[in-house]
Amino acid sequence: MKGNKFTATVFLIISLLCCFISGKAFSAMKEEEPIIPGSGVVEEKMLSEYFSPLKGTNGDTRIYVLKGKEPGGKVLVLGGTHPNEPSGYMSAITLIENAKLQKGTMYIIPRSNNSAFTHNDPQEGSPQRFTIKTSHGERWFRYGSRATNPLDQWPDPDVYIHASSGQRLSGSETRNINRAYPGRPDGTFTEKVCFGIAEFIRSEDIDLTIDLHEASPEYPVINATVAHERAMPIASKAVIELQLKGIQMGLEPSPKNFHGLTHRELGDYTDTLAVLMETANAAQGRLRGRTDEHLVLTGKDKEYVKAAKLGRLFVPYDENGHPLEERVGRHVTGIMELVKAYNEQNPDRGIVIENVPSYDELLNKGLGEFLNPAD
Amino acid sequence: MTLIYRVLLAIVLIFTLWNLFTEGDLKNQANAALVLIPLLLRILMIK
Repeated sequence: MKGNKFTATVFLIISLLCCFISGKAFSAMKEEEPIIPGSGVVEEKMLSEYFSPLKGTNGDTRIYVLKGKEPGGKVLVLGGTHPNEPSGYMSAITLIENAKLQKGTMYIIPRSNNSAFTHNDPQEGSPQRFTIKTSHGERWFRYGSRATNPLDQWPDPDVYIHASSGQRLSGSETRNINRAYPGRPDGTFTEKVCFGIAEFIRSEDIDLTIDLHEASPEYPVINATVAHERAMPIASKAVIELQLKGIQMGLEPSPKNFHGLTHRELGDYTDTLAVLMETANAAQGRLRGRTDEHLVLTGKDKEYVKAAKLGRLFVPYDENGHPLEERVGRHVTGIMELVKAYNEQNPDRGIVIENVPSYDELLNKGLGEFLNPAD
Repeated sequence: MTLIYRVLLAIVLIFTLWNLFTEGDLKNQANAALVLIPLLLRILMIK
């Protein structure tokens, strides 16, 4: 059959239909998952209150404030630096929905790179969202990308040069907020978000900053805490306490010549004690098989079991995988131990956090038990 | 820069549409129709 104007019109209609369906799916990524603050949250702020150029952009993001009756130290928890690392922002959300402060202040940013929540990484086959069952129904959460949405920042250079150090990285890292700290007020979109977070830390005089991440099971820095040299005394104490509780955790010093990361630049450019924690997420690994909600939630993947048997991984891996509640349990327990270690060193500026589920409670009851009703 | 990008996209889109309606070969028409999809999604800044 030969092509003519009729067949061209049919093809055009099919193309428009494909655009409509895929466009609707892509646009759905802009919808934010509901976060239901618990009674411990006393205030909600926006990052643009600290750096006004972010106002009205996808870089603006919500800051949840939990305050105790007594004044004390200030801790900042960063979730969602990389929205394809769900235990980071799910830990932040668990704290927002449960924690109560007796003393001091806790600030939580669950969507640190808000723009990166609005798209997926191309060719990864990642789900757009995942659902957690609770006793009062289901709650859904976004699974995003490692980097800022190209709609907010483009084009990527061939080589990304980190502004304050001159460090050279591959071009796509220009949209990675954990390579762009301390940021620049007149820099790229991603650098502006970093600058906003650094300004927030400086303005609020944050004592301790904890950035929550995940890594591929084949990545060497995993089940680990990375600490700036000023934060090393409290990080080492916290890691020992975690080990005594049976939670295997490594301790890494923040490399002085690796720039743009929270544990390096926030420690260098602000007065905060900067710490980063990593858990194991098979859904972002290179060796994984089918990538879906099930993998995000359970971490069960037979390819990773094979890789573990061949000695190719940096974490133990068996048929039980590494479920999300275990990864969230590691993070929230790590936060509690870091705060405890901070309190021991700074008794006059203590931070007392209560009503946070323990590692065992999360493993036994599941994460859904600690999420509030969505209405 | 985004404006220039979208103008360039619009030009390529117009030529692709023209090709779709003037092409006599069915396979090439299907090809042109496929090319239209990312062009449209990008010009509308959806993806």
